[in-house]
Amino acid sequence: MPINLKTAVVESREQRLGTIIGWDGKASDLSQESAYARGGCEAKCGQKARRICELQGPFTQGSVCSEQMVECQAGHVPDAALIQHSPIGCGAGQVIYNSLFRNGLAMRGLPVQNLHLISSNLSERDMVFGGVAKLEQSIRDAWERHHPKAIFIATSCATGIIGDDVESVAIALEAELGVPVIPLHCEGFKSKHWSTGFDATQHGILRQIVRKNPGKKQEDLVNVISLWGSDVFKPMLGELGLRVNYVVDLATVEDLAQMSEAAATVGFCYTLSSYLASGLEQEFGVPEVKAPMPYGFAGTDAWLREIARVTHREDKAEAYISREHERVKPRLEQLREQLKGLKGYIATGSAYAHGLIGVLRELGVQVDGSLVFHHDPVYDSQDPREDSLGHLIDTYGDVEHFSVGNRQQYQFYALLQRVKPDFIIIRHNGLAPLASKLGIPAIPLGDEHHAVGYQGMINLGESILDVMAHKKYHQDIAAHVRLPYKESWLKQKDPFVLARKTSAGSEK
Amino acid sequence: MSIVDTEDKVSPVTETTSKKTNSIEQVRYGCAIGAMQSVAAIPRAIPITHCGPGCSDKQFMNLAFYNGFQGGGYGGGAVAPSTNASEREVVFGGAQRLSDLIESGLEILEADLFVVLTGCIPDLVGDDVGSVVTPFQKQGVPIAFAETGGFKGNNFTGHELVTRAIIDQYVGDYVGPKTKGLVNVWSLLPYHNTFWRGDLTEIKRTLEGAGFKVNILFGPESEGVSEWKAIPQAEFNIVLGPWLGLATARHLEQKYGQRFLHVPVLPIGAHETTSFLRTVADFAGLKTKSSRKKLESFIQDEETRYYKYLEDFTDFYAEYWWGLPAKFAVIGDSAYNLALTKFLVNQLGLIPGRQIITDNPPDEFRDEIRSYYRAIAEDVSTEVEFEEDSYAIHQILRQTDFGHKPPVIFGTTWERDLAKELKGAIVEVGFPTSYEVVLSRSYIGYRGALTLLEKIYTTTVSASA
Repeated sequence: MPINLKTAVVESREQRLGTIIGWDGKASDLSQESAYARGGCEAKCGQKARRICELQGPFTQGSVCSEQMVECQAGHVPDAALIQHSPIGCGAGQVIYNSLFRNGLAMRGLPVQNLHLISSNLSERDMVFGGVAKLEQSIRDAWERHHPKAIFIATSCATGIIGDDVESVAIALEAELGVPVIPLHCEGFKSKHWSTGFDATQHGILRQIVRKNPGKKQEDLVNVISLWGSDVFKPMLGELGLRVNYVVDLATVEDLAQMSEAAATVGFCYTLSSYLASGLEQEFGVPEVKAPMPYGFAGTDAWLREIARVTHREDKAEAYISREHERVKPRLEQLREQLKGLKGYIATGSAYAHGLIGVLRELGVQVDGSLVFHHDPVYDSQDPREDSLGHLIDTYGDVEHFSVGNRQQYQFYALLQRVKPDFIIIRHNGLAPLASKLGIPAIPLGDEHHAVGYQGMINLGESILDVMAHKKYHQDIAAHVRLPYKESWLKQKDPFVLARKTSAGSEK
Repeated sequence: MSIVDTEDKVSPVTETTSKKTNSIEQVRYGCAIGAMQSVAAIPRAIPITHCGPGCSDKQFMNLAFYNGFQGGGYGGGAVAPSTNASEREVVFGGAQRLSDLIESGLEILEADLFVVLTGCIPDLVGDDVGSVVTPFQKQGVPIAFAETGGFKGNNFTGHELVTRAIIDQYVGDYVGPKTKGLVNVWSLLPYHNTFWRGDLTEIKRTLEGAGFKVNILFGPESEGVSEWKAIPQAEFNIVLGPWLGLATARHLEQKYGQRFLHVPVLPIGAHETTSFLRTVADFAGLKTKSSRKKLESFIQDEETRYYKYLEDFTDFYAEYWWGLPAKFAVIGDSAYNLALTKFLVNQLGLIPGRQIITDNPPDEFRDEIRSYYRAIAEDVSTEVEFEEDSYAIHQILRQTDFGHKPPVIFGTTWERDLAKELKGAIVEVGFPTSYEVVLSRSYIGYRGALTLLEKIYTTTVSASA
């Protein structure tokens, strides 16, 4: 299904890709049920061509919403402003995203500053009479205070329900102020998975910021779709004579505008990059690099070769690849020796987990289980070269206990009991505290580029050694705290038992 | 007029700051459903949130994590059940979904008390949450509910709604004797105030030292629901802070016929803490020789220790060569703002440069709060402002004349860059405090005051070279 930029509202992941948030089984089975060449679509799949039976139960714990992902992308463009058109509670996110923004800027060596997020601060009265006047005021405040190069508007559950006409305000003020004023439709209730928020931001950027008719092409410029991770891509792509345009986080509005002039777009995680990369190719002819993600030897080799092919730099790539193989091998050998016998468990976003499992297996770490926060049966390009789960299974073998769940702590206990890992790797919050109370240390990958590329294998190996030393702390904690779960639940071997009861016989 | 006199006066804010609008940039509170963390602050209680998928994450990650890295608590944080309301609940209502969630939650979670909090979605689509929760209550499930949609107000509002819900629906009616010397304490907002755990501990310790039995109700020193059940037995309520808790105390006065004592200044340092304890004792009518003796011997013991440390600190305070700040600004919630101002002026002799209250106290309390500042010391009067939008707050601070040397700013993470701009020092004392790790640290009472002195002057001294 091509990306539809005609309307201001992004299509949710479940509409476009058939995204699910509840599944349990072997990775190979999930891969078979997903689209791409290996499974294809069976007649019963219907129009979506990739419908997967989803486990849905009555019990759920707090998840994450699309609006938060808008904050962490549109809110991290230093010379733009983001209006949160909502009651004040959505604005609470300013705190965490300010911290990530500041720390990210510092990590990249950019000037540290507070982010420019403004809540329109709607009250009960506005729920009755509408909040557009306050939205207009907040946009004007953003303009007077910061003279931003673009103003994003994040909608909220409340404004979605009361039906505020955000678009009319945006159109009028864009004409008046002369900068893009961009509504991002990210009501939390509209999608079951927060990654729709990535798409909402990227949808708005594609529609209103990216230069429509680029006069020039920058044949050595590559868009790298990232968050705030450390700068590993400039040195890497620099070896091929390519310049990096990091987007969306920490990019300027001009960086976003010039995306249409680039020679290619790459990502490190298809969950994050799928929509924008596909949109740039579809609308502006900027090729999306369709390859396995840059994790482990096989993935990184293939990723680099495909970038080189698309940008016509094959020779440089081969030389760099063989140099890097030679460089990392000695330390990698040592690490494999040091990590021998360890079991790891990954609990992160979807495509990202596919990459990380590969890295662990390169390091000789056993991975019998993994939790991904959602699963996209296909990415927007629908190109099988992007089948990250397929690549994982083909290169490194199956994963016995592969589960999909949107950060449900109550299930995590049994998930860990199944495979009894020595450590876990996480990205979102909320699961590591439980693992800790079982004596299992976690590696939180705040820097999402930590495990990327050849050096990433060494980085992750070193981090595992560091965190295994932490075990002392976690075992002590495990001996002294009580979990908030009933004994009967902790004895339950199947973390999806409630969902299986509910979903039995009914395909959702 | 002497030079000192003019310097002591607070310069008025020039009217060049932009007019007040609805906008809030750089938030200083969450919304009403943020009171899920007030539930989590009760040992072995678990909040159940009926709201969109991100609401509970937003509240706890910001109030409890990126604010001193306090952690979500036993039943808050990522433990808290949520309906994660979707389009279906918006269109068809979410009552059944909530009922299923509670029912399954009872099978999974181990808790002494559940409190259902609603968000914008059910409050807008009109879910009848009472009719969902009441049947569980009738079955004897310890559960209450509060309507805390984000548009109803901030987490201070939510806290009073939740407190009242637990009292009315869980604690319930009481006819029986009061327990002599037992008091309920209503004070800091859990989690939002970064130091609430240590501070409530110090309040309980000093009141017990003075001879009282204490229902502290929230935090590590609370006994949990048994304390809540004992609320009606208390002799009286203490509201410790400028305004939060007054609504609860008034309600308890009606419901259980309990008197209440309002002490607006959270005590920091020996002078204030001693005065606080004597005020409570007087209110309680402690007259017997033995009870008075217990009180006074505790005070004497604490003061001896306090002043021994202050005596040693005096060497530094009197003769540190490289200069210490003379003026200060406080930007924070009213409880800490008033308490700090009182201590800094009266104990340290610092000059108030600017006080801005950021928790949006209800209008009815504001004049009284202003009057506390006007009489902050016998010989010092100052003004306080009410502002919640950080852009406006920072403009006010930029326009403030702090005199010949930079101030020390008691604020939040939002003031980190501004402090650098003003070449001053920053002590993060309120939400959000994203660059401090806080466990049991307290800044109040006899002990907390010493910790506060350490923090202020470590910050100052470590910037020397």
